[in-house]
Formats: sequence, structure tokens, C-alpha cells
Amino acid sequence: MKRKMIVAVFLLMSSVLLSACSGLSHADDNRIQIVFWHSMAGPPLEALNKIVNDFNQSQDEIYVKPEYQGSYEESLAKFRRVGGTANAPNIYQAQDIGSKYMMESGDIVPVQKLMDEEHYNMNQLEKNIRNYYTVNGKLYSMPFNSSTPVVLYNADAFNKAGLDPNKPPETYSQFREAAKKLTQANKGMKGFSFLNYPWFFEELLAVQGGEYINQNNGRTGLATKATFNSQKGLNIFKWLREMQKDGTLANYGTSGDNESSGFLTQKVGMFMSSSASMAEMFKNAPFKVGVAYIPRPDNIERQGVVIGGASLWLSKGKSAKEEKAAFAFMKYMASPKAQADWHIHTGYFPINPGAYKEPIIIKNYKKTPQFKVAVNQFHDTKSTYATRGPMMTLMPQSRVIMSRAIDDLYQGKNLQQSLDTAADHVNEAIAQMNLANKK
Amino acid sequence: MAMENPTSTGKVPSLNMPYRTFWEKTRPIQVAILFLLPSLILFSVFVFYPLFRTIYLSFFLTNQKGLPTVFVGFDNFIQLFQSADFLQSIEATFLFVLYTVPASVVISLFLALLANEKLKGIHFFRTIFASSLGVSVAAASVTWLFIFNPTMGVLNRMISFFGIPEINWLADPHWALLAVSITTIWLNLGFSFLIILGGLQNIDQSLYESSSIDGAGYFYQLRRITIPMLSPTLFFIMTVSLINAFQTFGQIDLLTGGGPGQTTNLMVYAIYKDAFVNFNFGKASAEVVILFLLILIVTLLQFKFVEKKVHYQ
Repeated sequence: MKRKMIVAVFLLMSSVLLSACSGLSHADDNRIQIVFWHSMAGPPLEALNKIVNDFNQSQDEIYVKPEYQGSYEESLAKFRRVGGTANAPNIYQAQDIGSKYMMESGDIVPVQKLMDEEHYNMNQLEKNIRNYYTVNGKLYSMPFNSSTPVVLYNADAFNKAGLDPNKPPETYSQFREAAKKLTQANKGMKGFSFLNYPWFFEELLAVQGGEYINQNNGRTGLATKATFNSQKGLNIFKWLREMQKDGTLANYGTSGDNESSGFLTQKVGMFMSSSASMAEMFKNAPFKVGVAYIPRPDNIERQGVVIGGASLWLSKGKSAKEEKAAFAFMKYMASPKAQADWHIHTGYFPINPGAYKEPIIIKNYKKTPQFKVAVNQFHDTKSTYATRGPMMTLMPQSRVIMSRAIDDLYQGKNLQQSLDTAADHVNEAIAQMNLANKK
Repeated sequence: MAMENPTSTGKVPSLNMPYRTFWEKTRPIQVAILFLLPSLILFSVFVFYPLFRTIYLSFFLTNQKGLPTVFVGFDNFIQLFQSADFLQSIEATFLFVLYTVPASVVISLFLALLANEKLKGIHFFRTIFASSLGVSVAAASVTWLFIFNPTMGVLNRMISFFGIPEINWLADPHWALLAVSITTIWLNLGFSFLIILGGLQNIDQSLYESSSIDGAGYFYQLRRITIPMLSPTLFFIMTVSLINAFQTFGQIDLLTGGGPGQTTNLMVYAIYKDAFVNFNFGKASAEVVILFLLILIVTLLQFKFVEKKVHYQ
């Protein structure tokens, strides 16, 4: 009798466990499952999960399963392996500089196709962002998380140094001056930090109207040569070198985490950051954080910034039903409501301008008007080939190469030579790729 | 090898059977292969096929999907040996081996000798010393990332207490490789410690007893009994650490990303970048082949020169 009881208890327990498991995997309902690969971590991950959950609860036909696949670089390597096979996710979040590869891969369906089929109103999406992902009049992917670079600064330290926190520096010489004052007035603080993350170099080049590669930044034909070792490229390096000599430039290598903790612990006064980490900084800083436009040389007019971040791609070879379901989710992600949530909780800005009318944004802008600076900087951008950003399959590799040139800068090597070497390496890589891809 | 020895079955060959079929003659080989089959299959799938595929790929340029397109012969190899970056990467790898292998063997030997004493509570120390064995590379690297943090790290606080200026451990080209080496030595300690301690406990106690009667002191015993008797274990540890050091990846990826200025771009990390960031599988495969040959040569040298000093019982 006792034994029977025990058996019964075990049976009950295991059935509870089993049903709990199936409850987690949602294998038992009839919803279409959409696998969504992304690279969001930290606060953006929380924000993303909330949006996905909202979507899953808003209807009962589609279930979206988000899967973190490591950094953008790591996930791109994975997608390259599985793209076009049954293991490919329905939706894949690709970094801006992976776009060219994605377009040419043959493993994706341009979202334009579904937009046309469903008469989706494309004009509700921000035009500058659409431009980035449009080639030959076709929109290839759904914009989702777009960011630009900004300068974040410690407004309290500005006050201490006798600088006006409401009038942040704009030009190279103003930044250099401010960095000096910050370093002097705040013990243990360096005025400025420039992370070895070549995206910032690309942006500082674009703000001057400089192109990164030839063929109009690879927008009107296949790029064959790097052009970032121009006078404009040199301007950036010279300016950083000057601040280095002043002793006002902090060097955190490639570690963005170390840099932000340096900023939060008041070891750095100003640094170049992605607008996507604004929300996190506002929340965690024990001082007031200001947001400024990225610096430009004194004698060059500001052209604007290139859109960074990532977009959502539809995999090819899935059933029409899954394709439609995936697109339904994309539409939701691009909706004003989702984009407003996303904007406020991360600092990526709305790819759908309709979001600016959402109450949550209006309320938040009153509380933290700094958010608006990033948006304004983006809207002030003049649309040129430079500010539309370089289009090249080899962009990830060129970043590895540029990262070395920035190391050279910090190690005191000849600036023009470092840039030329980097350009040579990019040119070699382009030549080799063209050879390998001819067949 | 498969030697044919008819007497090995224990039966005297019958004179009535002067002729045996090939099938019967090769019987021992058949049996051997049957036993080896599982490991042969596994090795073929996971070792031999990738090995030959890598060698094959190293003669090609690969397209953006990593598929071989243009046969270039030895071009990939020639280019590598002309590239300053790759040569630097080899140099960094050898430096790294030099920094980590002797240090981890010496330190873990020292710790093992301490922990081999019969004291009260020695089990506690044994557990502590071996504990880094249970820490994954990723967890250890993240912990050390905090220790090395230039603004809040413990290490910089400690040295600034002694009046030494702060060091940017992971971003300064003079220190980065050393910083990664320290992390690696710490990671290696647990495993080396455990193996060496095991070796120590295997030494016959009567050797010590009789030498004590003869009046040998501690250091004499260490030199004449412990080290010689431990030499097979030490040799094993050295070989394994050497190969591990050549293949280091995780610490580099998490701590420095190969920077600053290529100083910590060890070969395996360079291979990873070429293969999975640059998608240049041809070049990466050529690097793999070179690394394979390097490890092979170093290990052979080790067996040729170091093993002579090893005392097998």
C-alpha cells in the first residue's frame, strides 16, 4: 500500500514536470513559431523581451521566440553558415555593416516584397533610415534599432571646471580646450575618452563629409579602394594625438565596459558613445549627464551622422505562412508604440516618427530632454553619400584593420603612415575578395 | 603491428592444413580493426576529416560564404610568412608559452609540495589550491577583467597603495600579454597542482624513510628523490600545458580581443578572426596548418630532449 502511494506521488510529480516543460516551449499550441535571432544584451535585451512579450500576448496565432546569438559579429558568422538552410531563423537582426553581405547572400527575401503584397505604407518609416537599407529602389530589411554616435559628458564636472553645461563644445579646438579644463579642475579625471571602436572613426569622417571608400562610399558601384586615409581622416587622428599630448585623453583600449565605468566613476569627463547606451547612463550616473553632437574640425561644416545599429532580415525558403507571420511581427516592431518603448528604454531612436507623438515619449522628454539631442543631431544630417555610410561586404574586416591603426595612434606612431597602412590592408583584402568571388 | 604468428593461438599448426585462405591469415587484423572501429569512426569524423579538409582549404581562396573558389597553391602560406602581422602573432604565441608554462609548473609544484605535508586541515588547502580547476575560462576571464579594470580594479588600487602609478593592464602594449599570462597561469594552477600532488603521493614512502636514516636533509631528498620520481608527472604537465598554451583562445577573446596593437593576438585568436570575422577561410586554414606543424615540432623536440631526463620506474 505504501509503495503504491510512493509510485503515485512520483507519477504525479513527473507529469507536473512534463507539463511544465511543454508549457515553457509552447510546443502544445497551434501557433506559428517564428525564430528571431538577435544580438541585444543588457538593458536593450530587457526592452526587447518586453516588446516581444507584448506582441506574443496581443494575439494568439503567432509566437515569436527570440534567441540571443552573441555579438553582431558572432551572429553574422553563424547566419553565414546556416543562411538558406532549414536551420536559418525566420528573422535575423544584422548589424548595419553586415547589410551588403546580406543583400548579396541570396538567403533573404527583401521586405519590399511583403510590403508591396500587403500595401504597407513605407512612408511611415524615417526616410534617412530607409535610405540606408534601400538599394536600387528596393528596401531590403526592416529598420529596427537605429542609433547614432553622441558625446556624453559629466555636466557636474563641467560646472566645476567653469564650463557651461548647457553649451557643450562643438569643434575640435573647443573639445580640446574643454578637455584641458576638465582634467585640471577635477582630480583624477581625464577630459576625453575615445574608445578603440572604429565605428567612431567612421562617424568622425562622415561628419566632415569624408568618404570611407571610393565609388561614393560603395553606393554607386563596387568599392575598389579605401579613401579614409585622406586629409579628413588625418584630421581626426591629429586631433586625438593633440589631446593625448595634452594628457587629457583616456585610453580604455577596446573595452567599452571599462570606459563607461570610468565615466560613471568620474574618471572621464566626456566620451564618444552610442546613443543606444544613453538610457543606461542617465539611470546609473550619480551626476547629471549631458549629451552633445559629435565633434568636427573648426574649419569644416557639419554634415551629420551615419545611421548605425541594425535591421531585421527575412529568411528565404520559409513557407509563405511563416513569412507572413514574421512580417507581421516586423510591422509590430516598427509600430509607433513599440518604437516609443524601445526609444525610451534604450536610446535607439524611433525608426517610425509616429512614435514621437506617443505619450510615453512626450512624458520622458520633459523629464530627460537630453534624449532629444541625439534625435536632433540625426535630423540635422544632410543626406550625402558620406552620411549615408559606406556599403561594402568587407566592412567587418575593415574594422579589424582600423582598430590596429587606432592602436598605433595610442602608441605614438606616425599618423599618416598608420592610416596608409590600414588603407593598404583594406585594398589588399578587397582585391583578394574580388578574386575569390569572381567564380 | 599485425604480426602473423601461428603459434600465438597456443595450438601447434596441423600438418594436414598446409594451406590457409587469406581470410583466415588476416584474422588477427580483422579482430583488431573490429575493436578499433568505434574510435576509428569517431576520429575520422571529428579529427581526420577536419584535418584533411583544412589542409585542402589552405590551398584555396574562399568566397564570402567560406567555400573554396580559386586554387592558389602555396600562395596563402607565402603571404603569411611575408606578413608582419602573422610573424608578430607567432612571436606573441612563443612569448606567451614562455611566460605561462614554466611559471605554472613551478608554482604548482611549490603548492603541491606544501600541500603534501601532513598537517591538520591540509585538506582545506588542497581544495583551495585545486579550486581553479572548477572555474571555466569565461568566468575566470570576467573576474580578472574586474581585477585589471584601470579605474576600479583591485590590482591598481593595491599598487597605488605602494605609490606605483596606475597601470592600464589590458590596454597598454607593454603589459597586456603579461596580464593575459597571469590569468592563464592562475587558470592552469588547479589542474597542474592536482596532477603533481597525485604524483607526489605515489612516491614510495620507504624511499624517504631509508634516506632519512642515512641522514639526508629535506632539500637533498627533494633533489634526489622527489624530483626524479616526479619527473614523469612533470613531463606530462609540461607537455599538456605547452599544447594548451599554444591553443589559448578564451582569455584573449574576453580580456583583450587580440589588442592592443596585436600584442596579444595569439595564433588561435588570429585564426578565429580570419575565419569568422573576415571570413577568409583559405588564409585561416593555412594558419591552422602552420600552427599544427609548430606544435608538432615543439612536442617532438620536447620528447627528444626533455624526456631523456625523465625517470620511469
